[in-house]
Amino acid sequence: MGEKMKTIRIIVILTLMTTLYLGAQQEIRIRISEGVSMIPVAMPAVAFTAQSVVKDDAVRAEIEDTLWNDLEFSRVFRMVPREHYGYIEAFDPQNIRFRDWESIQANILISCQVEMPEASRIVMAFRVYDVRNGGRFIFGRNFGGKREFARLISHRAADEMMKQFGETPLFTSKIVFVSNRDGNEEIYMMDYDGGRQRRITINTWMDVLPSWSRDHEKILFTTYRNNNPDLLMFHLYTGKTEFLSTQRANYCADWAPESNHIVYTSTKSGNAELYVRDMDTGRERRLTFNRVIDTTPNWSPSGREIAFTSARTGTPQIYIMDAEGTNVRRLTTEGNYHDSPEWSPDGTRILFVSRIESRFDIFTYHVRTNTITKLTENAGRNENPSWSPDGRHIVFTSNRSGGYQLYLMDYDGANLKRLTSTGENKMPKWQKFTHRRFDN
Amino acid sequence: MKKLLTVCVLCLAMLTFFNGCKKEVQTEPEPQPVVEKVEEVAPQPEKPQLTEEEIFMQKTLDQINSEGHLKMIHFDFDKYFIREDMKPILQKNSEWLLNHDSVEIVVEGHCDERGTVEYNMALGEKRAESAMKYLESLGVPTERMRIISYGKNRPLVKGVDEDSHFMNRRSEFKVVKK
Repeated sequence: MGEKMKTIRIIVILTLMTTLYLGAQQEIRIRISEGVSMIPVAMPAVAFTAQSVVKDDAVRAEIEDTLWNDLEFSRVFRMVPREHYGYIEAFDPQNIRFRDWESIQANILISCQVEMPEASRIVMAFRVYDVRNGGRFIFGRNFGGKREFARLISHRAADEMMKQFGETPLFTSKIVFVSNRDGNEEIYMMDYDGGRQRRITINTWMDVLPSWSRDHEKILFTTYRNNNPDLLMFHLYTGKTEFLSTQRANYCADWAPESNHIVYTSTKSGNAELYVRDMDTGRERRLTFNRVIDTTPNWSPSGREIAFTSARTGTPQIYIMDAEGTNVRRLTTEGNYHDSPEWSPDGTRILFVSRIESRFDIFTYHVRTNTITKLTENAGRNENPSWSPDGRHIVFTSNRSGGYQLYLMDYDGANLKRLTSTGENKMPKWQKFTHRRFDN
Repeated sequence: MKKLLTVCVLCLAMLTFFNGCKKEVQTEPEPQPVVEKVEEVAPQPEKPQLTEEEIFMQKTLDQINSEGHLKMIHFDFDKYFIREDMKPILQKNSEWLLNHDSVEIVVEGHCDERGTVEYNMALGEKRAESAMKYLESLGVPTERMRIISYGKNRPLVKGVDEDSHFMNRRSEFKVVKK
């Protein structure tokens, strides 16, 4: 395994070097796949420029921590530890000694200089160099904004880094979830890292099971405001609400990746069935016809298939069907209770939960190899997993510490991180179509 | 000189005597005014004899619901059929509903936390529907009933033991109109 990794690493390095030699103007696209080592990145302390009128160290530290944590979290980059920087000469943005940085095993060097023309404004100069190629300049961008957006500015810079390396940006993506911290179940939103948590709905009834629209300007959820579980669409920027389905129970809406369609569960026929609704015309098509529970539909990234849960064999199992409702095939064969399927953004894996001895654990099903990996083990009840936009991370609900809280882990179950602590928090959904917002 | 001293002593003695007298008068308590208690004896209003129906109509929906005429029923794990031991409860509920024929109810379906959020939404609905269908079979008109699923979002008790789970797997009957 170690030998194999080493070989892969060498291949990547060679590819990287060839790409770099191809010419200064060429854009660099490096695809990092599973098992391949991460790119070592060095980031000397973020510093204020000499011209900076205000030098607020709190801002400087906030930017540095956010950038560092984002890149460290990415699983694309690996941060060269700060202790190593002490072995070489102090960083000078005007005269970077790349050989020094190469000697402490850095491949990529980030120079981040901040200027505050006044106490309320930040301008960040973000520069990235290829250390081992004589310090070739890879890219640079300036980001600016109000002081209170220091975190957002840093997330934007880290996202730019992901894009430059051919990866899906995710640090400015949001997670929508349900919290009872203000007395009853309401919809909340936060940054991917648990920062800036804020309330979206303010009322006295129960709102549950939120999900995103394709443009991220709307959220769909089930509301009990009319004493019935109705499916509602809420426009985040205007506050406008639209009821989509109001007969009996309506929930689990999932927006199609390539079209203005949603798929959702409704019991309006007297039984839980799946429906596809054209959001432009309001026209609906029923996908399932039987007397058992069909629920939790989830589009494949291509939009051609839908994964869902059905009790057609007596217990809830995961199935896949074509988007027209035909060609149904069963995916889970072992165990007697599975639910919450969610396709990874690249379509190679399907997350789901499985009940084992009245507990839930999170699994991934590998579509190509037809194998299953268990991601959580012996730690309370783990539910409602949702992929990050780049498919390397998962947000989920767990009661491992007592009450229900939201946690992050990587696709392989590593790097567990708790995101919430106030009240009980559950049913997270991560934005999944971020590429649209970032297309320049 | 001696005479003057005698007069002084006499005067002092008298002064002391009169002072003593004055003090005694002061300590005597003043007579308190006697307050006569006056109570008005108002005639008691005659309580109207309300019929049972009128009493019922005077109550709020919350009062009616808190009186617990309609008992909840419980279900087996992962199931939504009506258990044999729950049928007498539904029988009693149907009798009460047939005696109060203006009442409309919502039949709630609830689940324990051992199912997923999504599947439990459907399971809760199935439970509410079973309960409603059973009441219907006992003669309660469908128009007077509506079902609502809460899945596992509204547990009755917090707890991880089977007793708590049993309590949470339930169908409740709420009066929404009288």
